[in-house]
Amino acid sequence: MNMGIDEAVSESVRSGSSAPTMRFYRWDPSAVSIGRFQSMKKEVNTDTCKELGVEWVRRITGGGAVYHDLNGEITYSIIAPEGMFPKGIRESYSFICGWIIKGLKGLGIEAQFVPINDIIVEGKKISGNAQTRRKGILLQHGTILYDLDVKKMFSLLNVSKEKISDKMVKSAEERVTCVRRYSNAGIEELCKNLMNGFTEGKEYDIGKLSEEEQKRAKELSDSVYSSDGWNFSR
Amino acid sequence: MEGYAEYKVPDGKLVSVKVTYSDRIESLQILGDFFIHPEESLTDIENIFINMDVNETEGRITEMIRGIVIAKKIEMIGVTPEAIAKTTKMAIK
Repeated sequence: MNMGIDEAVSESVRSGSSAPTMRFYRWDPSAVSIGRFQSMKKEVNTDTCKELGVEWVRRITGGGAVYHDLNGEITYSIIAPEGMFPKGIRESYSFICGWIIKGLKGLGIEAQFVPINDIIVEGKKISGNAQTRRKGILLQHGTILYDLDVKKMFSLLNVSKEKISDKMVKSAEERVTCVRRYSNAGIEELCKNLMNGFTEGKEYDIGKLSEEEQKRAKELSDSVYSSDGWNFSR
Repeated sequence: MEGYAEYKVPDGKLVSVKVTYSDRIESLQILGDFFIHPEESLTDIENIFINMDVNETEGRITEMIRGIVIAKKIEMIGVTPEAIAKTTKMAIK
């Protein structure tokens, strides 16, 4: 449903019926999302996903596969007219990722933006981000890792079980990190700090999806994002 | 015949090419964690390859991709025409 919501909100922001929108959300049930140009069969172990009750979805944005664990990450979306951001896509990644960095700083975590689309802490990735621009609207979504279960992640991403060796898990642990390694904050506190980072200096209201957005999101979710035609198109 | 190759673009993303071919390319998919804007234009790039002679040079393939990138104002991030051409030749070998 989350990808349907992002697209539905994009449409309503474009039509002017909704204000520029920031969303912070978690995935229930947990899910794997893959980039627009990735192969579902190649990237995702859908059999293990079924066993563990994990869903899968292809995003409209590029980038790589992400495991959105219900209790292990926060996803955000920014949906707004592209004129509100730097014109260049690379520059706008840096601009928006700056808000994530501010949010993490609120928890005492020093993070840095690394082009093209990553945020790192002590050289390890803590956030990945992906952007699209359609008919004047910028949509950027991304993940901030709160907790990390590398073995589970590798069982869901399509790596053969033989390859989930200690060496490989260690290697991933060396490359990826999460908020819990640096802070005792709960996931709600992380979310609150991210919201502070994103909204600093901006006027905003906390709202919820309009009825129209909910209806459209359901339509898109049923017809596109839950369909094999879309998810297995590559 | 079927071919597949992966290539990590220096300072960029992973690109892979899946191809079926005989003396000409029958079908080809470009896969990976790169970004192309607008996203739909990847199909325009893939269509260049249909019925292409498998002996086409890497340089000529790069030129053809670059031509469509300029004509259609495509923005590539984390991938380049050169990388797609190189991966395609690797997949056909």
